[in-house]
Amino acid sequence: MAIIERPAPGIIVPALPAGTPAITPSRTFGALKRPVASTGWKSWLFTVDHKKLGLMYGATAMFFFIVGGLEAVLIRLQLAAPEGKVLNADLYNQMFTMHATTMVFLFVMPMAAGFANYFVPLQIGARDVAFPRINAFGFWCLLAGGIVVNLAWFLGGAADGGWFMYAPNSGPVFSPSRGVDFWTLGLQIAGIASLTGAINLIVTVLNMRAPGMTLMKMPVFTWLITVVQFLLLFAIPVITVALFLLTFQRSFGAQFFDVAAGADPLLWQHLFWIFGHPEVYVLILPSFGIVSEVLPVFSRKPLFGYPFVVFSGAAIGFVGWGVWAHHMFASGLGPVSVAVFSVATMAIAVPTGVKIINWTLTMWGGKLVFSTAMKFSVGLIVLFTIGGLSGVTHSVAPSDTQQTDTYYIVAHFHYVLFGGAIFGLFSGFYYWWPKMFGKMLNERLGSWNFWFMVIGMNMTFGPMHILGLQGQPRRMYQWTEARAGEGFFNIAFWNLVASIGSLVLTFGILLFLINIVITARSKVRAPLDPWNARSLEWMTSSPPKEHNFDSIPHVHHLDEFFHRKYEEDPVTHTMREVATAEQVLAELERNADTNIHMPSPSYWPLVLAAGLPIVSLGILYSIPVAIAGGLVILYAVYGWALEPSVAVEGDYEEPSSNGHAVGTTHG
Amino acid sequence: MMKSRRLALRALAATGAAAFLGSCATNAPQDTWQPKGPNAKMIDDLQQPVFAVAGIIGIIVAAAVGFAIWRYKDRGQPIPEQTHGKPALEITLTVIPALILAVVGVFTFRVIFDLARTDDTQLVINVTGQQWWWEYDYPVQNEWGITQPIISSGQLVMPVGTKVLLRETSRDVIHSYWIPALNGKRDAVPGRVHTLRLEADAPGIYAGQCTEFCGLSHANMRMEAVALSNEDFAKWVAGQQAAYQPPAEGTLAKEGESVFLNQCVRCHQVEGLKRADGTLAIAAPDENVWSGAAPNLTKLMSRNTFAGAMFNLLRDACRDDVWRADSAEFGAKYLAGVDETCLNVNDLRAWLRNAPEVKPMYANPALLADTNGKYRGMPNLGLSESDIDKLVAYLLTLK
Repeated sequence: MAIIERPAPGIIVPALPAGTPAITPSRTFGALKRPVASTGWKSWLFTVDHKKLGLMYGATAMFFFIVGGLEAVLIRLQLAAPEGKVLNADLYNQMFTMHATTMVFLFVMPMAAGFANYFVPLQIGARDVAFPRINAFGFWCLLAGGIVVNLAWFLGGAADGGWFMYAPNSGPVFSPSRGVDFWTLGLQIAGIASLTGAINLIVTVLNMRAPGMTLMKMPVFTWLITVVQFLLLFAIPVITVALFLLTFQRSFGAQFFDVAAGADPLLWQHLFWIFGHPEVYVLILPSFGIVSEVLPVFSRKPLFGYPFVVFSGAAIGFVGWGVWAHHMFASGLGPVSVAVFSVATMAIAVPTGVKIINWTLTMWGGKLVFSTAMKFSVGLIVLFTIGGLSGVTHSVAPSDTQQTDTYYIVAHFHYVLFGGAIFGLFSGFYYWWPKMFGKMLNERLGSWNFWFMVIGMNMTFGPMHILGLQGQPRRMYQWTEARAGEGFFNIAFWNLVASIGSLVLTFGILLFLINIVITARSKVRAPLDPWNARSLEWMTSSPPKEHNFDSIPHVHHLDEFFHRKYEEDPVTHTMREVATAEQVLAELERNADTNIHMPSPSYWPLVLAAGLPIVSLGILYSIPVAIAGGLVILYAVYGWALEPSVAVEGDYEEPSSNGHAVGTTHG
Repeated sequence: MMKSRRLALRALAATGAAAFLGSCATNAPQDTWQPKGPNAKMIDDLQQPVFAVAGIIGIIVAAAVGFAIWRYKDRGQPIPEQTHGKPALEITLTVIPALILAVVGVFTFRVIFDLARTDDTQLVINVTGQQWWWEYDYPVQNEWGITQPIISSGQLVMPVGTKVLLRETSRDVIHSYWIPALNGKRDAVPGRVHTLRLEADAPGIYAGQCTEFCGLSHANMRMEAVALSNEDFAKWVAGQQAAYQPPAEGTLAKEGESVFLNQCVRCHQVEGLKRADGTLAIAAPDENVWSGAAPNLTKLMSRNTFAGAMFNLLRDACRDDVWRADSAEFGAKYLAGVDETCLNVNDLRAWLRNAPEVKPMYANPALLADTNGKYRGMPNLGLSESDIDKLVAYLLTLK
């Protein structure tokens, strides 16, 4: 396993038996030689660098965001008018299933994983994550999983049971196409990414923080990402079990959800939602973390009530395990269960409310700068609050039995997930883009991007409150004029508004993509500290060097970077600048570590991950192919296990005076 | 400038309010905010204050954020003191929402348990979901004159002011029974029986829709609950139990009866229908249909809908006449059923001609291997136009 820093003198590197040849890039016990490329496509394919992997997560997620968005537009076109004919019933069912699956598993989760990968090590002053090869393996699993899930489109139709995939409708009789098979196997593979990523980031955060960074001096983004990793660590195994049961039911004749054989279909619902509700917090907490970074920076003020934000985040992480059955208030659980879960659901509103209050109070008394990142963050506060409050209305279980499975719920979770999770991610794009790419996204275009998204999102999802309360159920491929009503609240009008809104929203997102292209073509470099930021990830060059920091900073404050730049005036209690960002950075470079060792790239994560889709396709089409995939996996495990864990002296790089690595010994 | 803007705002507000108030009478039939029975009323009484409080809190948050945006915008003020929060304020602002929710929780508890009561039931109806229609089975209940089981579909018929208990289950996947004006929804789960209380205050038809995704024609799985006065309900019960009247010899309907015996009776039961040899025709849908049943057509023309309430049996004008009848007249109009002048013959013929074409179903013979040769939904029977003429004439006699 990679060594993050060169062992201090006196620490003994385990010696190899006498006579063993030295292990170098060109000599290895594995079956393949070590990759050495540090530029070009090979440097991306075999990388174990957390920053490169973060960008790869981000690019993959962005691709699936576009796919999922186009699926959503098709859904809205179908529902714009009564008896829609854009899609037939079968295609419509595939479309809403895949829209949700894509947005949840292939956009929001990996995008958050990308941000976490990129910024958690930077925020805690580390040079990489604890297990860099496992990190690379996770990314390739995500990509493989996403491809497998979507392959079904081309091989007889995508999954059509809804993202919740309730049994027995997901069984082989009721969903005879291969779609659900691809769905279960693809998500199984993508789940490996989340599980390994969770372990990796937890170990990283607990063990690799810079000296002086106690847990209560850790940036809130890192804190909430850590909470998310604990949620994933315990939630992913549950969906893994559920997906295995479904795979065995569909492919090998098992009867876990076969009612005729005595199964209870509610088993699936419990398994799915015990995973599915923590999953909701997996989706939203990273964005809460981003907002908790952005608001203090652009308010020029620390986060109000940092410990309350941290502990309410942890509280959400705990209580989030006790509310899953609120997705099942109409399932027939009986009044005692319903009452308990109803009250638990109300309880979780409290820590969530604490966050809203703290963000608002962070702005209070500040010096607010409305950059695009700030606009998205403020947008999140308001839009998420709307979604949170509609959530409270269906924590009231009897009220929920009128609302569940109607468009009111669709409105609720899109305010939470679009107005919350996605606005947070967009805030993160604008805030961290200069850090990741060394160039600023265009702020003017960013403002248009923001306003089109706000208007589009409210036009699309706002009317859905009306549609749902007027009794329009979800997941219907057509709605009929006979049930539309007349007057102000008529379903026909508001469906049309929502569909037009989805086009406005699409245009807003298109502006973002245009902004990316314009920025990529621009030659203007971003300043070192464009936002007057507060945390460690800004205390290095943009983009950061491969080893992140020339010398690991010693942390004395929450918002360490800010406190190196500013000191409090003892009289007026306002802050005055004592050092520029450049001066802070120069100080770090002056004390650069003489030897920095970074983990070497490896083929094995990619090879191991490539075996998994082969096994999946084999399960569906031919068992010998599955066995071949299994052999690929075994081969990769063998190579991985024997790959040298301790590199030779020649693998060490000297940081140059300008901070960028000079000619490496790998060539 | 300011004045005209204010005027415009006022005009806008007035228009909005007028539109809002004027619209109430004609809201969608599944409006969840217009309870028409005590169970739905109980939910509504609970949720309205919650909506109000949530709305107020939303406005407060938006106002606070708006104020902060306006007040603390960067106008060149110095970087403020780096304060990290005020625990007392923080705790206060945590306790207040917790208290509000605790109050909501107490009322929620009461309603949950009240809505789960079954000990005051006056009439039981078994409701079974199947892709993509509902079967209504009235077990023998002598106090209601139900001396033999009544099996129906398309419309749930119930007496007003009566505590009806639905006992729900499903024959295939999970469905959900929902008549918003009468109560919230309850899933019908195969292998389980769930109960749902329904009670209507006034005679009329209350619309509903299956709300658990159940496959291809989920959107076409609708419900209508028909509430009748006690006298009218008694008449309906008597009508449903009336003996079968074979069509007169030599009529088109009589020829339709033999088409029905040849084609339809494999799956569709008509109580009392006899074969030419005098034996009772017993449908065996379980041999032909995956989920095991097909709608019982015994008194088809006493219903207003067919094909899982996707299509109306009544022409639009006749249907509107029934739906818009006032409480006093409604019962008589509903019990009149469907006659030839009112029959929605186009949709019925299209259905008989090729059912899977007008309602998406898995009736494609190419896919029968998945279900051991059994159909899901009604297949295309390949009937000739003259057979369809005969069948329509025959179906009109099923009253």
